[in-house]
Amino acid sequence: MGLIHDTKSNVLTTTVEAAVNWGRKNSLWPMPFGTACCGIELMAALASRSDIARFGAEAIRFSPRQSDLLVVAGRITIKMMPVLQRIYEQMPEPKWVISMGACASSGGVFDTYSVIQGIDQFIPVDVYVPGCPPRPEGLLDGLMKIQKLIEKETFSDYSKRK
Amino acid sequence: MNPQVTAKSLETEKMVLNFGPSHPATHGTLRVIMELDGETVIKATPEIGFLHSGFEKLGEHLDFNQYVTITDRMNYLSPLCNNVAYALSAEKLMNIDVPKRARYIRILMCELSRIADHLLSIGMLAVDIGAFTVFLYGFRLRENIYDLFEAATGTRLTTSYTRIGGLMRDIPEGFETGVAKVLDEVGKVADEIETLLNRNRIWQKRTKGVGVISKENANSYGITGPAARATGVDWDLRIKEPYSDYDEFNFDVVIGVNGDVFDRYLVRMEEIRQSAKICRQVLDKMPGGEVNIDSDSKFVLPPKEDVYNSIEGLIHHFEQIMPNRGMIPPKGESYVATESPNGELGYYIVSDGSRTPYRVRTRPPSLINYSIFSKIMVGGMISDAVAILGSLNVIAGELDR
Amino acid sequence: MAISDLTTRLQEKFQESILDVSEYNGEVSINVKGLVILEILSFLKSDGFNFLVDLTAVDNLTLGGYDRFAVVYHLLSHENVERIVVKAYVPEEKPSLPSVESLWKSANWQEREVYDLYGIEFEGHPNLIRIMNPDEFEGHPLRKDFPRQGREQRKDFPVVERMTRGKRL
Ligand code: SF4
Repeated sequence: MGLIHDTKSNVLTTTVEAAVNWGRKNSLWPMPFGTACCGIELMAALASRSDIARFGAEAIRFSPRQSDLLVVAGRITIKMMPVLQRIYEQMPEPKWVISMGACASSGGVFDTYSVIQGIDQFIPVDVYVPGCPPRPEGLLDGLMKIQKLIEKETFSDYSKRK
Repeated sequence: MNPQVTAKSLETEKMVLNFGPSHPATHGTLRVIMELDGETVIKATPEIGFLHSGFEKLGEHLDFNQYVTITDRMNYLSPLCNNVAYALSAEKLMNIDVPKRARYIRILMCELSRIADHLLSIGMLAVDIGAFTVFLYGFRLRENIYDLFEAATGTRLTTSYTRIGGLMRDIPEGFETGVAKVLDEVGKVADEIETLLNRNRIWQKRTKGVGVISKENANSYGITGPAARATGVDWDLRIKEPYSDYDEFNFDVVIGVNGDVFDRYLVRMEEIRQSAKICRQVLDKMPGGEVNIDSDSKFVLPPKEDVYNSIEGLIHHFEQIMPNRGMIPPKGESYVATESPNGELGYYIVSDGSRTPYRVRTRPPSLINYSIFSKIMVGGMISDAVAILGSLNVIAGELDR
Repeated sequence: MAISDLTTRLQEKFQESILDVSEYNGEVSINVKGLVILEILSFLKSDGFNFLVDLTAVDNLTLGGYDRFAVVYHLLSHENVERIVVKAYVPEEKPSLPSVESLWKSANWQEREVYDLYGIEFEGHPNLIRIMNPDEFEGHPLRKDFPRQGREQRKDFPVVERMTRGKRL
């Protein structure tokens, strides 16, 4: 069509891996699973001051089928765990999981009969964000850690996915 | 719409719809099973307990001051109100009178929390109905209030500010000017939100006449707080049973007429302004002095300077925090009701005279307000569900505990 | 005061059923036998206590009391701005007492909660099923003899594996 006149200055060479990873890491679509107080800080991360859009992750999708980053923010109880597992399984690959806050990561202050002592016993977790609740900055840091993970993915990793 | 007309002109089938628990409008943790005829709800059965984390069991294993941290996590829109309610009940049990300055600071914090709580609950209601901007406007101010909390308590959300016998610490220098600055903004933000919503046609259509609660039902179902006042019940514990020092301030109780979602929204908006009014009065009248009772009473920790600089202070400190020492409450029980942003929040504490409470029960406004949901949902449209849920402001942490 | 007047009237009317009337810090509690709770509360309701504030229970295992469980009703009179506490005692064996759902609708969920957490049954309740814990949960967690960390209920889930076979860095 004659759009590219000058191949010398308009061509960028890269690997497929790098291009795909770059695209993925800057357009994460989070599925917020905010159950308790940490959910409020998750909202704060979305709102005006922290603005998660700077990291390309503002497209909150409440449907697991459309998202690739599960943010578990809050206590997960014995009644909730089957729901969480179901949602994790419904998300399409590739997918990443952030466990936000002490409760999701370890049960936090709630060492009681009904709180799961760490969701990583039952679903895989990629990044843990400490704090009770973590500040929005903490969540953003966790998001950047996920982006770093994505950067390192290789072609063979993709093909190994079922 | 007249249901008979629908039935004739359009054949519909009964259908069961599962709503939640992971649904944006249920805020993660509520589940409603609705039976529908077309789009009309004929039966709605809420299922709760998805966030039941054993708060009350935990209360029997932590000592009186440790439990303050747990109360934060109950209503996370306004944790300070929970701190204060719990401290008041424990102090009534132990017959402690906190200094005036502490009482005033508690009121200031409670009212700031009320503003923050109402802002977020209105914001979420608006998001659920489809007006995202309101949430952003509200959250901007909420962030400023967070900053104040952070300056005073050290953290934004889980404040744990009260202690039995006073406060964790006094408010920092310059706090009052910070509050005054935020208060100036409250009116502006409230105006902004009202300009966006009050006369907005979509907003009116989706909230007026929706989820109407009658006065009788409000009393029978135990509804309290803005949801009850929107129906016309003239009941505000801050006036009727003034706890702390609420009787020294001058403010109006906001009462609605119709008891629908729109009135609940209006009541909340006006309460924001009234709270700002109370805060201003607190700032004007703020007394000086200590915020804790005398540490010789064995109820509060000695001042940190003593602990760090003198052996007596250190011993005193250890005497307080060692597992077999510290405060010994009398045998008895107490219940104090406070007006939290959602309604009557009370703590019922039973003590058997040991370091840990024998039983700590929270009177959860969210649970009791939510129980009317299945009643007012009947006959409504399916899209009313989100509006009603948002307007009842159900906080799962407090709902399930 | 009106409250002392009320308690004497109550004692006259329900002689055998009232165990005693106690006061702590200005809070009056009336201790009654569980089986008559419906009559006593309807009497109080007609006497002006129009609002059921709170309904809960206490397990008296180590505290001592007339019986193992006490179901606690907090009533409020909007008109006189007064509160009163009624405690209905029920035994350890087959704990059950009449439901007050017919007087106040707010009792519905709270009785379910007490049933779930303490195992106390309410006769005449329209829908007495667990509310907080899953239906298949065993035991009643707020009883004093239930361990705080539960009975392994929180470990009882399948493990969902990562779908990638290779290790993600
Ligand atoms: S980690 Fe803390 S703030 Fe987060 S859900 Fe748990 S208790 Fe709440």
